Amino acid sequence: MYCHKVRPIKTCRTPIETIFICMSCHATFRMLALQLSSPGLLHTSYKVCAVPFTRRNFAAEAKVKKTYARDKPHVNIGTIGHVDHGKTTLTAAITKVLAEAGGANYKKYEDIDNAPEEKARGITINASHVEYATANRHYAHTDCPGHADYVKNMITGTAQLDGCILVVAATDGQMPQTREHLLLARQIGVENVVVFVNKADAVEDKEMLELVELEIRELLTEFGYDGENTPVVIGSALCALENRQPELGANAVLKLLQVVDEYVPLPKRELDKPFLLPIEGVYSIPGRGTVVTGTLERGVIKKGDDCEFVGHSRAFKSVVTGIEMFHQSLDRAEAGDNLGALVRGLKREDIRRGMVMSKPGSIQPHQKVQAQVYILSKEEGGRHKPFVSNFMPVMFSLTWDMACMVTLPQDKEMVMPGEDTSLTLTLRQPMVLEKGQRFTLRDGNKTIGTGLVTEILTATEDDGCNWG
Amino acid sequence: MSITYLFRSIRTEFSKVCNIQYVQSLHTGCPLLAAEKELLLKLRKSTGYTFVNCKKALETFDNDIIQAETWLHEQAQKEGWSKASKLEGRRAKEGLIGLFVGGRAAVMVEVNCETDFVARNEKFQQLVKDVAFATMAHHHVKTDGRTGYMKSLLAAEDLSKLNLGDGASLADQMALAIGRLGENMSVRRAVTVGVPAGWFIGSYIHGGVAGQSDVAMGRYGALVVFQGGKDGAQGILGRKLGQHIVGEAPVSLGNMDDIPCGDAETRLLPQSFLPDPSRTVAQYLTEQGARVLDFVRFQCGEAISGCA
Repeated sequence: MYCHKVRPIKTCRTPIETIFICMSCHATFRMLALQLSSPGLLHTSYKVCAVPFTRRNFAAEAKVKKTYARDKPHVNIGTIGHVDHGKTTLTAAITKVLAEAGGANYKKYEDIDNAPEEKARGITINASHVEYATANRHYAHTDCPGHADYVKNMITGTAQLDGCILVVAATDGQMPQTREHLLLARQIGVENVVVFVNKADAVEDKEMLELVELEIRELLTEFGYDGENTPVVIGSALCALENRQPELGANAVLKLLQVVDEYVPLPKRELDKPFLLPIEGVYSIPGRGTVVTGTLERGVIKKGDDCEFVGHSRAFKSVVTGIEMFHQSLDRAEAGDNLGALVRGLKREDIRRGMVMSKPGSIQPHQKVQAQVYILSKEEGGRHKPFVSNFMPVMFSLTWDMACMVTLPQDKEMVMPGEDTSLTLTLRQPMVLEKGQRFTLRDGNKTIGTGLVTEILTATEDDGCNWG
Repeated sequence: MSITYLFRSIRTEFSKVCNIQYVQSLHTGCPLLAAEKELLLKLRKSTGYTFVNCKKALETFDNDIIQAETWLHEQAQKEGWSKASKLEGRRAKEGLIGLFVGGRAAVMVEVNCETDFVARNEKFQQLVKDVAFATMAHHHVKTDGRTGYMKSLLAAEDLSKLNLGDGASLADQMALAIGRLGENMSVRRAVTVGVPAGWFIGSYIHGGVAGQSDVAMGRYGALVVFQGGKDGAQGILGRKLGQHIVGEAPVSLGNMDDIPCGDAETRLLPQSFLPDPSRTVAQYLTEQGARVLDFVRFQCGEAISGCA
């Protein structure tokens, strides 16, 4: 049985459930966990046993759970498109076609569209997640109804999309709001878009399909995608569901999946990145030296590796002379491992919690960043009041926390709870930060928002002076 | 290319000889020719109607692009209505608040759609603008010549009867937009305010979308009616008050000497002032020599009972 090394990223609606992300393969799991109250703990990793608990209601579930076999690389994709162009039908069709090959459980349209209010109006509201596997890859498929949902999805990191399927109905062609769909894809950092021209069975004239394709390619190019080489698959999800016209139905769906397999590249795995160990504790062991402990965020550490300590306005190099896990020494530790590392020539006082041990030169401390932040609404436990520029929450990321000052973008005067916004954050002291790093903002005893670093800015002279 | 040319010239010859019906049946029978494809693309680009309809239009009018366009516009109105009745009932709770202040009058409207993608589209924003202007025109007609404080709330039914400048009804315009954008939409509510001389209207819109010129749009909006204030600074005062109302969502006005009751305060005057939390709104107003008389706050998609 394989072990996933996971860390929690999001608490679900039921308070005792948490979504975990596997650090080596990006797969997400929903499972029961103790609710973590301390924000410091939010970034602690857990090593858990392999079976992903996909069922919400396990007490009532008598069946033996299927074991998730890790034999294929994992990729997250999403669908975007107009509400009536058949995103959900396509998702249902994919599971149906793959179920015949054993790569998925067939999910009916109604099952995907499963929240009560969704059924009432026949369109998807919240994010729905469906999983399936092709011959080469395992996919998590996300569909959200609105722009704000996708942005929240990006910030909270439940499933960062590696690619996107843009669904366009052949009958309508692109809609005016398709522009907004592509803008969103750009905003959430989707580099690869594949187009599925749906409802081709409702159009008699082949030339029309060509025109729809031509037009969508033009639009893609306009939004900075490679419109000429973007794969466009023409078919009909409904035909696939109803077992009609296989060339437009099942075969087109298979072709779409093949195209996604080929066109959307695999995300870089955490294990392949330079190692990073956020330090949780420092101990001095008589006769041996100084040991730092923590959970390896990414990469692989080997005995004898050069390392660098950064953070809290300090930086120095050293060598890892030993690695220990569960009181046993080992030669190599991987992302997700909870380890202690013996380092050469350092005193306990040199290092403190909140610093990181990394591959030399791979990460730098920064003071000022641009971030995309979602501010929790009152119902989600956030503030009930808006905030304005110069608001000073505390930022928590990795194992550090630091006061920071918020500067709103120029066209904004305040931020309301429940909104997502871009913010400039200036830390009181430089801390380890990099593009793509996630963090939490807290004020007093409340979590007020979570965010994602989108850009590193250079701190200017006057950023440091007004801390009172 | 030469083959296409040949075909085309043959066809023109044909049309001279044969009657139009014959040529039409010939068209539907054989695949589209390159020249028609170009026309079709051009028509689709200039009008934005679906390929299916553009093609139908070109076929009906034998590639006369001007006639085809007129026909498409007429058709769009009909299709808009059928689409609108088909989509009716689907929940539309996204959308925009549009706010327009002109002299001694101001309007604030809420127009809903199904997804925030559409709310970001300029076609939808144009619709919000049309609704705001139509409501403003309605206000001017109703108050014709009268001065004094006027405030009226308009519900969806009253609004759909309003007319746009060119004679089309607002409901027609909505149907057109629904046909074009393919989502259910509704004009949910509007408020118009007219004030006598010496009173001022402050406004603030939050979560705004850039673009449209005169009508401010966003997810939250507030209008505040006040008296006094320092000369020349009324604009800023009104904006700050509006911002406070959007942010703190007061339910009632309260009195100048009310004692604040903490964070849960829902009366405007005893609330602590958002841009300067060390003072209450009442204290701030006293300092500025101003008096708030009334306010309205709209939040996009909120339950409607909360509106003042």
